[in-house]
Amino acid sequence: MALTGDLSVFNFADILQVLAKDRKSGVLLVEWKDIVIAYYVKDGELVFARPVDKVFRVYTDRDFDKLLDKLRIKKEDLHKTIDKFFLSRIDNKEGIFSFTPGFIKYNTDIPVFYPVEELIMRASRVLTPEEVERKISDELLVFERNKNAEDILPKVKLTEDEKKVLELVDGNRSVADIRKASKLDSLTVDRALYGFLATGLIRRKKKEKTQKPSISLDLLAKIIERIKKL
Amino acid sequence: MKTIKKIKIVVAGPFAAGKTQFINTVSEIKTVATERKTTLDKEKDVKHQTTVAMDFGKIRIDDEHELYLFGTPGQSRFDFMWEILGEGALGIIILVDSTDPKTFHEARKIINFFHSRFPVPIVVGANKQDLPNAWSPEDISFALDITDEEDIPVIPLSAKNKEEVKDVLLKLLEIIREYIS
Repeated sequence: MALTGDLSVFNFADILQVLAKDRKSGVLLVEWKDIVIAYYVKDGELVFARPVDKVFRVYTDRDFDKLLDKLRIKKEDLHKTIDKFFLSRIDNKEGIFSFTPGFIKYNTDIPVFYPVEELIMRASRVLTPEEVERKISDELLVFERNKNAEDILPKVKLTEDEKKVLELVDGNRSVADIRKASKLDSLTVDRALYGFLATGLIRRKKKEKTQKPSISLDLLAKIIERIKKL
Repeated sequence: MKTIKKIKIVVAGPFAAGKTQFINTVSEIKTVATERKTTLDKEKDVKHQTTVAMDFGKIRIDDEHELYLFGTPGQSRFDFMWEILGEGALGIIILVDSTDPKTFHEARKIINFFHSRFPVPIVVGANKQDLPNAWSPEDISFALDITDEEDIPVIPLSAKNKEEVKDVLLKLLEIIREYIS
């Protein structure tokens, strides 16, 4: 299935979130205005990046180790390609992306210098107010920490401001309350919350369902049978 | 003369997600539509007509009951209609265009809107799965930030396909049944 889109409407924080959640492996291709870059993803982690002159070349190198040999890149230097071709472009939103799962054979011992959660937080720090509004759409939203937040926390290097915002997420305070209590500007707070959501540090607090459907089981069974026969 | 009891299901979703088509596919009556020409340039590029108040379709259950499918307008500037149409709904179907990731955030906002106001079962229909660049339901679920706790299934479909539209309706009804039992 395709995983394609435009960076202006689906940013790197969003893309990495999708890749990380399902621990996908494959190649993310981004066609920037000036260059095409292939980002290699293993189990949801971004492990390598390289520019390509012809897109088809990406699909001819199916063995990751052989590719590194061919390019004469040492495994301990892989992170430098993330610095050069990902982090330097993290705030550039003029590109078309497509992710192709599978097809490349990875060995198990590929070092991960930048955990995907760290990259998501970095991408969240350069979001525009319009982008932030897509996830933090309502100042009455209430968030709570995820059960596995403690496992994620060591992977992200939070800024002091972000730590302050995270401390205020308690399942009771709304976005408006957190903005007020943190004394930070709204964009900083909202970017932090966006990143926390995308990394899985926090989640939307579940509403208690109180409205029981006003319909009998017999009638519901009748509707189901009717729909089946349509 | 017997009074016919109306049962309501709301079909919501971003602009051009396929809500009108969804209702048309299963409705027994010709859908009562309130469509007007699109006025914004960016919307004209997508389609020429858009729903401005609501669509509705109807399925007769028996002599005393009818199931109404109400389609909301997609643009958030009509969200006052979402509030009106959500009142008294048995459940809500949120349709998304699986080929158009720029609308996924809008879909999440719509889920938040209905979730906070009408705590009834919700399902997401990942429409246009017949098109080659459609995102998979699993990826759409991740993109919409749907957590396990929210219990909102994402069901693949093409709104032109009657059996697939029925599958979405049946999934919602099954969740409602679990909820009542």
